[in-house]
Amino acid sequence: MSTPEFGRFSDPAILILASLAGGDKHGYAMMEDIQATAGVSLGPGTLYGALARLEQYRFIEALPSEDRRRPYRLTSQGAIFLRQYLTSLEHFVAISLQRLTA
Amino acid sequence: MSLRSWLTHLYPRAWRERYADEFDELLAQCLHSPLDVIDVFWGALDAHLQLLNGEEVNWRMMNKMNKLRTTLLIVFAAFIGFVIAGFSLVGLADDSPMIPLMQTDLPLHLSWILIHAGAVVALLAILIGGFPLGLTVLRQAFTLERGNRGWLLVPVIAFLVLLAYFAFVLLVGSGRIVLPGVVRVVQPGVFPAGNRLLLAGLMLVFVLGAVASTWAVWKAVSATEGEQQTFHPAGRPLALNIYHFAFVPALIASAAMLVIFVSTLVWGWLSFTAFPQVFAGNFGPWLTSTQAWYFGILALMLLCTLAAFYAIGRGRQAAQAE
Repeated sequence: MSTPEFGRFSDPAILILASLAGGDKHGYAMMEDIQATAGVSLGPGTLYGALARLEQYRFIEALPSEDRRRPYRLTSQGAIFLRQYLTSLEHFVAISLQRLTA
Repeated sequence: MSLRSWLTHLYPRAWRERYADEFDELLAQCLHSPLDVIDVFWGALDAHLQLLNGEEVNWRMMNKMNKLRTTLLIVFAAFIGFVIAGFSLVGLADDSPMIPLMQTDLPLHLSWILIHAGAVVALLAILIGGFPLGLTVLRQAFTLERGNRGWLLVPVIAFLVLLAYFAFVLLVGSGRIVLPGVVRVVQPGVFPAGNRLLLAGLMLVFVLGAVASTWAVWKAVSATEGEQQTFHPAGRPLALNIYHFAFVPALIASAAMLVIFVSTLVWGWLSFTAFPQVFAGNFGPWLTSTQAWYFGILALMLLCTLAAFYAIGRGRQAAQAE
């Protein structure tokens, strides 16, 4: 899979994918979840900048909304990408910790 | 113009067509400080830069695909509403004096035939239009990591529960199971409370099963990924946009619903003109008011027809998009 270009939305995109890995959510629920789990407060412009890119890459998908709030879900493509990203991060963390203790 | 609306209008038109409603709703909840306003400025600037950079921006197309999918789901839900109304209509006409009357009265007979013809056309349209979509849902349910297999169990369970209840009613009717207050053979004009309860349960299981199954199908289709699918009929690859493919059958199904509704209206009017005492009497299921059932059925059909045509109107633009 080619690495997508999220630009300044790289970190928010990962936070959104991780949030949606826990279940379908609309924008405000994602902001609250990310604040609670990662301690990061995403602004509305940043959130939707990342959401729009993730949707274009088909990493997330909008679900039909009953009101003006539209929920999103993680696609299988998004789950694969998130898993690959987190695995590479895990490898990087392990090497860094080894270097610190050496 | 409110601050929220003004901020949303900073974004490109194509972006707004896709995200404006939900973004405005989000701003209503989280626009607390000047930093949030600055954040929206940056977001809007980024969206314009994406367009200038010639990035693959397909907000419009994504929006249209979502609209088209929702259109098809609403038409499907309206069709299920018609199935419930149709069974109720058959229950109303069965064993009533309208059946022998229909054999001699040609206009009444024709309107009844038209109701059945509309039902067949609607069913075929739903089956044909929904076939590739159904195949995709099934395929993804068993191949994708996050496939929603659970939703597909709901219609199966609902059908099994209905079968089990129907078998129970048959066993009661045959006398193998004896229930207090339920008689095996109902005398004309007398319908004991126990029998009413038993049949009300059957109708409740049917309606609840239909509603739950529709809801589950809605969830399963919503979770389906990608509108372009490739099928292999007779070993040859066939690429299809499953939502575009289903639009014309959905239009035909909606037209058939309109035909059924108008035919039911005509049928009711002709029946009333020829046999007013039937409408004044209690020929509904469980000897209930004929009028109440008839107008209830009409109201449900009208509601479903309006919903289907509203959805078709909403999805027409999406279906015409390249």
